[in-house]
Amino acid sequence: MASATSRPLEYLEGLPGTTFYKLYQQPSTALAIFRRMLPDLAKCFVMALLYQKDPLPTADLEIWVSSDSKKERDNAISILGRLHVLSTTLTGENVRAYVLTNPFAASLRQALMGAEDSQSFGMFSRAPEHLQTSVADLDEYARQQWEGVMGYMVGTSAFSGQRETVNLSKGVKQLLQAGHLVELRGNRVDITKDGFGFVLQDVNTQVWHILILYVESAEAIGMDSVEVLSFLFLLSSLELGQSYDKSHLTPNQTRTLADLTDFGIVYQNDADPTRFYPTRLATTLTSDSSALSNPVTGSLTGPAGQTGGSGSGFIIIETNYRLYAYTSSPLQISLISLFTNLKYRFPNLVTGKITRQSVRRAIEMGITADQIISYLLSHAHPQLRKHSAAQPSNKGVPASILPPTVTDQIRLWQLERDRLRATAGFLFKDFTSLAEYQAPCQYAAEIGVLVWKSDRKRMFFVTRHEQVAMYLRNQKAGGR
Amino acid sequence: MNTVDASEHYELGATDLAPSLLTIVIDTNPHAWDILEESLPLSKAIANILVFINAHLACNYANEIAVVASHTHKAAWLYPSQTLSHSTDQDGDISMSTDTTPQPNKYRPFRIVEDQVTRNLKELMESTTPDHLRGNTSTMLAGALTLALSHINRRTIAWAEEHGGANPDDAPAEGTAPSNRYSASNEDEKLQSRILIVSVSGSSDSAHQYIPVMNSIFACQRLHIPIDVCKLSGDAVFLQQACDATKGVYMSLAEPRGLLQYLMMAFLPDQRSRRHLVLPTRVDVDFRAACFCHRRVVDVGFVCSICLSIFCEPPPGSECLTCGTHLDAGNYNSKPALLPRKKKKKKKVNGASGAGTPISVSTPGS
Repeated sequence: MASATSRPLEYLEGLPGTTFYKLYQQPSTALAIFRRMLPDLAKCFVMALLYQKDPLPTADLEIWVSSDSKKERDNAISILGRLHVLSTTLTGENVRAYVLTNPFAASLRQALMGAEDSQSFGMFSRAPEHLQTSVADLDEYARQQWEGVMGYMVGTSAFSGQRETVNLSKGVKQLLQAGHLVELRGNRVDITKDGFGFVLQDVNTQVWHILILYVESAEAIGMDSVEVLSFLFLLSSLELGQSYDKSHLTPNQTRTLADLTDFGIVYQNDADPTRFYPTRLATTLTSDSSALSNPVTGSLTGPAGQTGGSGSGFIIIETNYRLYAYTSSPLQISLISLFTNLKYRFPNLVTGKITRQSVRRAIEMGITADQIISYLLSHAHPQLRKHSAAQPSNKGVPASILPPTVTDQIRLWQLERDRLRATAGFLFKDFTSLAEYQAPCQYAAEIGVLVWKSDRKRMFFVTRHEQVAMYLRNQKAGGR
Repeated sequence: MNTVDASEHYELGATDLAPSLLTIVIDTNPHAWDILEESLPLSKAIANILVFINAHLACNYANEIAVVASHTHKAAWLYPSQTLSHSTDQDGDISMSTDTTPQPNKYRPFRIVEDQVTRNLKELMESTTPDHLRGNTSTMLAGALTLALSHINRRTIAWAEEHGGANPDDAPAEGTAPSNRYSASNEDEKLQSRILIVSVSGSSDSAHQYIPVMNSIFACQRLHIPIDVCKLSGDAVFLQQACDATKGVYMSLAEPRGLLQYLMMAFLPDQRSRRHLVLPTRVDVDFRAACFCHRRVVDVGFVCSICLSIFCEPPPGSECLTCGTHLDAGNYNSKPALLPRKKKKKKKVNGASGAGTPISVSTPGS
């Protein structure tokens, strides 16, 4: 989950509370945030509280969650707090209680029940269609544009001349540079370390990454980030294969729309400027990464031109580190060649071997072992998945899809180089007593922000301090 | 080195969480709803359930929903509706026009479900004639459950095929040991299905369906599909057993008007979240069964020693109605002689180490 959700979540957490207040005015935004950003347990809490008039006392919530899942509970509440969805109040009897914040709760209720004239879920285009645009066309367009962007970054056009190059607008190139995904050296486009990490992620994460970059850059050129963000969430709630009316959009939104067209996130027909179509890249924004295994999105990542078919995977990896990739896409081949020694190339298949040397080469370029493994995993051939599903599991842990020897070895090869890791965060120290030190330290471990601790020195280090500080304050208040 | 340990291999695989399929069986028995008219009319209950459905769909992009109505004379699909093709002539225009009317205030998937459920429910109610209701006060729970199960089975296989995660050949488990183990090991990667029964009819009404209902319950138990029951009125014996056997949630609402809050709090969490929550469970489950001969719910009955069929009285001709075995009822109703045994018991207690012998325990009280 970490790679899939953390990036947009981190960005949203950094926003000030007033921005949230504005964002949550839109039902589509509330729905999208609810669906995409929250863990399962947090969703249960929100729904349980949504139609309750009175705040829920904290003790009641604690009883509701089983005692073994304290960590999950604290994590869920922590995320809800960070996204300004849940807040604590005092009830009449001076009991601390949870309550949903208002614009969010009202908007989510509106999204569920459908009320009032918010026009939050897009206007269908009413004009009769001259040119029918099918779902397959949209998928093809999205695939072409997105592969074009990837190809531009990796530089595939250099080694396969026969491919038609997609016209990338200047805005796209600038955005990629601003996000430090590519660097311009003279006339050549060089991919950066971040860029390598980026191209190996799954499509959904990539789209989010780009969108967050876009929102950040929108602020720089004077567009309101709230307006852009809520428009993005609106896009995610539209329906694939339907056309929507452009005349209701604000000028800024129209501008955003034009920029997103370049990425293949929306499609606009030049002959008919009154409407736009969201592509699958947009409509699956709020889904989990599982949309990747969706057959048609699979065509985005899988072999070019092969739409449909079952599953999206095409890579088979064996325990002897041999790799077989059933693809003819120059993009995919160049991605695989980043960390593999390719040996043979056939019309529909490339084979190679993962070696210490090839993995080290990739790591020197800034690719991490986790990125390689997650790339292999998300593109694993259905045969591999089938094989692991048929394997008996031990102690309830499902058998892994990739051979464990391979994944372990890739990690070990990385560890040969990586011995230091830097984490930004906050140090808590100078506790007067051991008890005073232990309680917040344990709390930090429970909400999952603890990185390091030393019982002897009475110090601990966390990635996020707000809640620990809050906890300390509450303790102080409770103690007196 | 700490980062390479056994637990980490599986971390990535476990993130791909499967969506859940919720099948709701709504008891639309008009007799029972008539009693509830004061506190919670059917229209209001349906509105509450629709909000609940939206909440379920909102939880995950890929979550699915199915709604079955268990009516007095038949069980019918409310969503997804399968009678769409036959109504193209007259209803075709109507559905087309609803499609093109812009409704920007509602998320479209929500609206599609709502439209279909309300339309199909209306059709069902209109097709119900007084003849159907006369003399028939029960609900077709067994049929509805079977429909729900077959839908779940179909969706599970289709989902597994789409995602290549599981072997579709294994999916229709035949109850053999290896396939059972397989299904248990990959709980997280399968489509998570569960059934919610919104029940209003009493237990005496459905006793005549005892056998099919119990069979579907056992099917659910085998497939690890929890059956949740939200009981608005009355108390049904078999549904309690269904929840108990499938580890579902059973709630008998004290205040039917708060239906939505009950639904949101107790029935919305899916199997994955339920692991972390303390859910309302029943301690005092009514385990009584219905007899095979008169469909009466019995406390004490007769059981065929060959096929375990239950009878409320010795079957006619001492022949089991199910398997045809000739049964010897013995001298049933004759009182056991008590005096000599009492003496024996005392002796035994003194002699042996004091552990109760089976004979002394099984003596009836009278």
